[in-house]
Amino acid sequence: MIGVHGISKRFGTFRALDGIDLEVREGEFLALLGPSGSGKTTLLRIIAGLEFPDRGHVEFNGEDVTGLKVADRKVGFVFQHYALFKHMTVADNVAFGLSVRSRRLRPPKAKIRARAAELLDLVQLGGLGNRYPAQLSGGQRQRVALARALAVEPQLLLLDEPFGALDAKVRKELRRWLRQLHSQMGLTSIFVTHDQEEALELADRVVVMDHGTIEQVGTPEDIYMSPSSAFVSDFVGETNSLPVSVVDGRAQFFDRAIEVESNRVADGPARLDFRPHDVSVCDDQPGCLPMLVTGIYRRGGEWRVEGEVTGIDRALEIDVSATETPPEIGTRLGLRINRAKLFTTGVQP
Amino acid sequence: MIDDRKSGSGGRYALIALAIAFLALFLMLPLVAVFVEALSKGIAAYGAAIVEPDALAAIRLTLLVVAISVPLNIVFGIAAAWAIAKFDFPGKSLLISFIDLPFSVSPVVAGLIYVLLFGAQGWLGPWLRAHDIEIIFAVPGILLATIFVTFPFVARELIPLMSEQGRDDEEASLSLGASGFQTFWRVTLPNIRWGLLYGVLLCNARAMGEFGAVSVVSGHLRGLTNTMPLHVEILYNEYNFVAAFAVASLLALLALVTLILKSIVEWRFDYHRGSAGH
Repeated sequence: MIGVHGISKRFGTFRALDGIDLEVREGEFLALLGPSGSGKTTLLRIIAGLEFPDRGHVEFNGEDVTGLKVADRKVGFVFQHYALFKHMTVADNVAFGLSVRSRRLRPPKAKIRARAAELLDLVQLGGLGNRYPAQLSGGQRQRVALARALAVEPQLLLLDEPFGALDAKVRKELRRWLRQLHSQMGLTSIFVTHDQEEALELADRVVVMDHGTIEQVGTPEDIYMSPSSAFVSDFVGETNSLPVSVVDGRAQFFDRAIEVESNRVADGPARLDFRPHDVSVCDDQPGCLPMLVTGIYRRGGEWRVEGEVTGIDRALEIDVSATETPPEIGTRLGLRINRAKLFTTGVQP
Repeated sequence: MIDDRKSGSGGRYALIALAIAFLALFLMLPLVAVFVEALSKGIAAYGAAIVEPDALAAIRLTLLVVAISVPLNIVFGIAAAWAIAKFDFPGKSLLISFIDLPFSVSPVVAGLIYVLLFGAQGWLGPWLRAHDIEIIFAVPGILLATIFVTFPFVARELIPLMSEQGRDDEEASLSLGASGFQTFWRVTLPNIRWGLLYGVLLCNARAMGEFGAVSVVSGHLRGLTNTMPLHVEILYNEYNFVAAFAVASLLALLALVTLILKSIVEWRFDYHRGSAGH
């Protein structure tokens, strides 16, 4: 189990991390999700021992490792651009961690070679051991980097934007494969990503970060369905947001009461966030929100309808089942919001 | 390329011819002249001029200077490039400017600085004399001057290379349990080897050929503080042309060998950089 307690880190005047507390469970696949500059990579590097915190400490299985260097932490680190040693063959890259051990701990040469071959098989690159990194595709390099990190039998696998440099199709395949490998090997893994889809698809739990602090920690379901802040609601998944004022615990949009199932917030200005699929079309009934349709296109089994609502600048996006006839551009549509989250804003709507 | 062919090949050939004529006149002709003059009294005279004791002493001294200054340059160059490329610290840009200093200062001035410092009338002169240490008009002075003049070569070659490579490879190596030394030896050094070799070649050529700075501090003592370029000058001033050109031809040969090695290294270097791209 990995514990991170009160970690703060500054780079000059930039506050990269500010009082981070986090528990990583045994065998967990954890995502650090956030926009660039949110501190996610810095946190990963501090856990690895590639960076050292100004305050706070890091524990591995109850043991304080804050002062330990990366070499002594038994972590596998996969770099964003893989950092393969380009003057070494793929097999030598994978064998590196074993071949630099002190003579006492170093397995015999034949054994190292066998282990490297085994790992290359594991990452489905058997037979490519004699190639050089430059002769591999991006996805293959990524897997070599993974095999190399796994060779030292780390207790913790850390991945920095593991799919960032790959094209969409390879990314998707590799994602699934990595998830499998993680469970198959019983690893504890932490990966950094700015791609919320990736985080939601892969991780057991997601840590959403912004401006050097943790906004929310939870399962993908928690994060998506019950975002704890306006930032998380915005950053994860697609969100429509209406400026409302809460009066007597009920949301009002320009004096029009909105009938919606949501959390309770204090009276005053707030924003009402809802997902495109949490909306149904209704006729002119009380509580329906009139929207002018400005665009429509197919998204898989649904129509994505874009529209304008008087009083807000940003277009709304809603999903309508593609089994229904699509609304026409220029027509008015009544919306019923089925499910929403309220966040107090302190700004007048 | 197609556009080139269309747009009047006459102009292109004229430019090429001009370049070749220029090279022939200013580079090839003097080079040929050196060898022609050196061999003008036959191969025996050429050989005699080279094995003559003062000439041998000059060659030995030059080799000694190279043997000391080049390794120092390698150590300094790697250390400086490493610090500049991989770490941030206050005064970094100042250090870069200092490394460039020998490029912008006339070698003669560089020599004079050492005379001013270590010479008999210099700041440290009395102290050195009291302790019986000879620097100016002795081998240590020549070494200092050569080191000063050559010290940007390796560093200048490595700084951009190492900056471009970043810290990822080293961090990867450390994260796999390698020690600092193992990381340097097995990851950093192979990554920079061609750039390093290139810098060493340039540094070597300059260390052997340096005239100005060395001339000021050497004192031109035959058989003692004469390097090859200084020996050539002395012989020439004595109207001993065959001997002068014979020794000069050795330096010219060195230049040719350096040029060939440099081309090979450049070719390998480009090849490696090319294949490293992604």
